[in-house]
Amino acid sequence: MTTTSITNVRDLADTVRAAFEDGTPLRITTCGTWPESLRSVRSGATTLDCSAITGIVEYIPGDLTLTARAGTTLAELEEATARHGQWCPLSPWGTDAGSFGATMATATRGPLTTALGAPRDLALGIECVDGTGAVIRGGGRVVKNVAGFDLTRLMVGSWGTLAILTEISVRLRARPAVDETWSVPLDGDGVTERLHVLRQGVYAPLACEMFHGAAARAVGLSADAALVRLGGNAGFVAAARSALRTASTNAAPHDPAVWTRAREVHAAPVLQTLAGAIDRPLDRRVKAQFDPRHILNPGLFAESA
Amino acid sequence: MLQRELEAIVGERNVLWRASELLVYENDALPGYRRRPRLAVFPGTRDEVIAVVAALWRAGMPFVPRGAGTGLSGGAVADDIVVLGLQRLKQVLALNAGARTATVEPGVVNATLTKAATPFGLHYAPDPSSQTACTIGGNVAENAGGPHCLKYGVTLNHVLAATVLLPNGEIIALEAPRADRAGYDLMGAFVGSEGCFGVALDVTVRLTPNPEQVVTLLSVFSSLDDAARAVSAVIAEGVLPSAFEMMDNPTIRAVEASIYAAGYPLDAAAVLLTELDGAAAGIAEDVQIVERLSRACGATDVRTATDAADRARLWQGRKKAFGALGRIAPDLVVQDAVVPRTRLAPILAKIAEIGQRLNVRLCNVFHAGDGNLHPCIPYDASDADESARVHAAMKEVMELCIAEGGSITGEHGVGSDKMAYMDRLFATESLDAMCRLRDAFDAERRANPGKVIPSRHCREWMSVRGVEA
Ligand SMILES: Cc1cc2nc3c(=O)[nH]c(=O)nc-3n(C[C@H](O)[C@H](O)[C@H](O)COP(=O)(O)OP(=O)(O)OC[C@H]3O[C@@H](n4cnc5c(N)ncnc54)[C@H](O)[C@@H]3O)c2cc1C
Repeated sequence: MTTTSITNVRDLADTVRAAFEDGTPLRITTCGTWPESLRSVRSGATTLDCSAITGIVEYIPGDLTLTARAGTTLAELEEATARHGQWCPLSPWGTDAGSFGATMATATRGPLTTALGAPRDLALGIECVDGTGAVIRGGGRVVKNVAGFDLTRLMVGSWGTLAILTEISVRLRARPAVDETWSVPLDGDGVTERLHVLRQGVYAPLACEMFHGAAARAVGLSADAALVRLGGNAGFVAAARSALRTASTNAAPHDPAVWTRAREVHAAPVLQTLAGAIDRPLDRRVKAQFDPRHILNPGLFAESA
Repeated sequence: MLQRELEAIVGERNVLWRASELLVYENDALPGYRRRPRLAVFPGTRDEVIAVVAALWRAGMPFVPRGAGTGLSGGAVADDIVVLGLQRLKQVLALNAGARTATVEPGVVNATLTKAATPFGLHYAPDPSSQTACTIGGNVAENAGGPHCLKYGVTLNHVLAATVLLPNGEIIALEAPRADRAGYDLMGAFVGSEGCFGVALDVTVRLTPNPEQVVTLLSVFSSLDDAARAVSAVIAEGVLPSAFEMMDNPTIRAVEASIYAAGYPLDAAAVLLTELDGAAAGIAEDVQIVERLSRACGATDVRTATDAADRARLWQGRKKAFGALGRIAPDLVVQDAVVPRTRLAPILAKIAEIGQRLNVRLCNVFHAGDGNLHPCIPYDASDADESARVHAAMKEVMELCIAEGGSITGEHGVGSDKMAYMDRLFATESLDAMCRLRDAFDAERRANPGKVIPSRHCREWMSVRGVEA
């Protein structure tokens, strides 16, 4: 199996166009942090390594928007935005060693998704190369935009089976002034239900994840527990804290570093099987429009051609 | 004959064909795009919609879905084809207060949905200023926004599912992606498709709990520049108001001269209407930041709405501003460009310069927190010289916003009105990709043909037969 490394969009477009012309299947990878089982399995595929298409293209802190190439790692985004007291709250299950492009292409969620939005909600615009080698842009860099049909939503979450993302613009958030993590033992007595009510209420946490059994141990918790992250200004967090203590008198402050491990541990169960996800006639027509020769990550969805 | 066939489905009363009856369906809320439909048909049930669309398909007749016709892009107009009016489908099919969702027919009016949710302490968050008239079907088709979308997100972020009827009769269930389901986000693709992909038969939306506390501030400025800088400063600080609206002096005067007078000071160069909401704890801190930054940028007065009635009055002026501006001249053009929030002050200065140079009455009332401008010009279209200057001014404003890295439309849609700017924003390859997305839904281009993408950019256009009316 051959691997081709790509450094820019033009080369990528040329490579894909050539593959389109002779029907060569392409396996798209960036940082390669996804398990092998989630890649296409068709033999004879060329691996397209896009990890060198990297770099932040534009970051205007005052606008809370950022545009970066797909190969940029989440860690790089984290570092650049943290300097301005901001973040790109993707924080997906897995690690920050992964790429921005793959996170958006797979629309991977994370503990902050409920509070701060899924990848589709954060995406403002994209550039990508489809299965015919066309370089396509959708959306833009401003925070509100309805110009044209929505290629951004189409491509985010399409797992590289319609196009290869090369650049994405997202909205950012200001980091909360106060950000603290608590652990809440799941010691029966209705605590799970009370946490659920808390999540629905005005003092909803930034994140709330439950860990049981082996998962709890893997995260370093001594027993089944929920990790709860409270964020906001001082007044809000003070009130949220007492709401949390009302939900559980055993709630205790926890080291926020736990989230790194929690994201890794949680990643395994969320890797859903993709088989059959695009097998409706409309899905197939979409596929035929953007990847007519089925060269992009073929077999990933176990789709019929 | 098509007319008889449609009458047999929906009843004679619900098919309009006389010129006098069709008059109101010749345009949407944006004057200047008048097209005479051949017929207008108004099904009363979902089954009737399905039967009507099947009849249109067999007859090879394209159609334009239409809600309340409040669109501002010349989107719901039909040039010698059929208007498919959905306003009679106005049932709230289900409201699940526990799950905070509602399923509605497409003709349900935006404000009616919120009214239905009110007893449960919930509301439908996207609140276009036209909310007392516009329909959920139209909102989904335009991906409508509104003042409170700054914090809560636009229509896209609130639509969970929809049943869509494609022009060829195929019925598809679309769903927003969830944690436990992979697949193409065709729900997301359908939102904002401007009636070109098919007809929404029902829509399931998320309902939002009413905030515990709401604080509304009116900040007064003696220069537009100061007001714009205040907006940029608050956004950059990371405070997220639920709404952040600006009105300039000509708008203030028009509002104050109307029945919607809100008590905005007549001598202000601009006012900002800022709303903060959410949990009661913590709001005071954000209010203080907004007030401090506003004053630092030159606000001459910052006052808080005293009670619910005062708040409603302050909002009424904003929500009816287009109506008020519409009364001071026979015609009104409105644009919908979006610009980076850090660039508001210089861009508003340039827009003012364009208005002065071309001698038109340029007014600004807009969603400042999103950078979503609504420059508008009241004028008299029967005055050829004034019309020419108005259109030249709007063209310059649009070019300016594009050059600043913005978009040509934030919430009103492209429709007929902004098609001419699409190739300033996107290269042919991208426009062609948009056409291909539409083709997956409607390859024959029977739904709202000739809108959004100029047809010359569609690769396959030449081979598609006789679809554009
Ligand atoms: C005074 C005023 C203020 C406004 N303020 C705002 C604002 O703050 N924010 C904002 O976003 N907009 C605003 N608008 C614009 C307009 O109200 C919105 O675009 C609204 O969403 C249109 O809804 P409608 O039912 O009137 O749609 P229509 O005008 O009837 O149709 C609009 C488009 O939707 C399509 N369509 C309608 N129903 C369906 C359906 N069931 N299935 C598929 N396609 C369909 C039509 O084909 C057309 O392309 C304002 C308009 C006015 C007049």
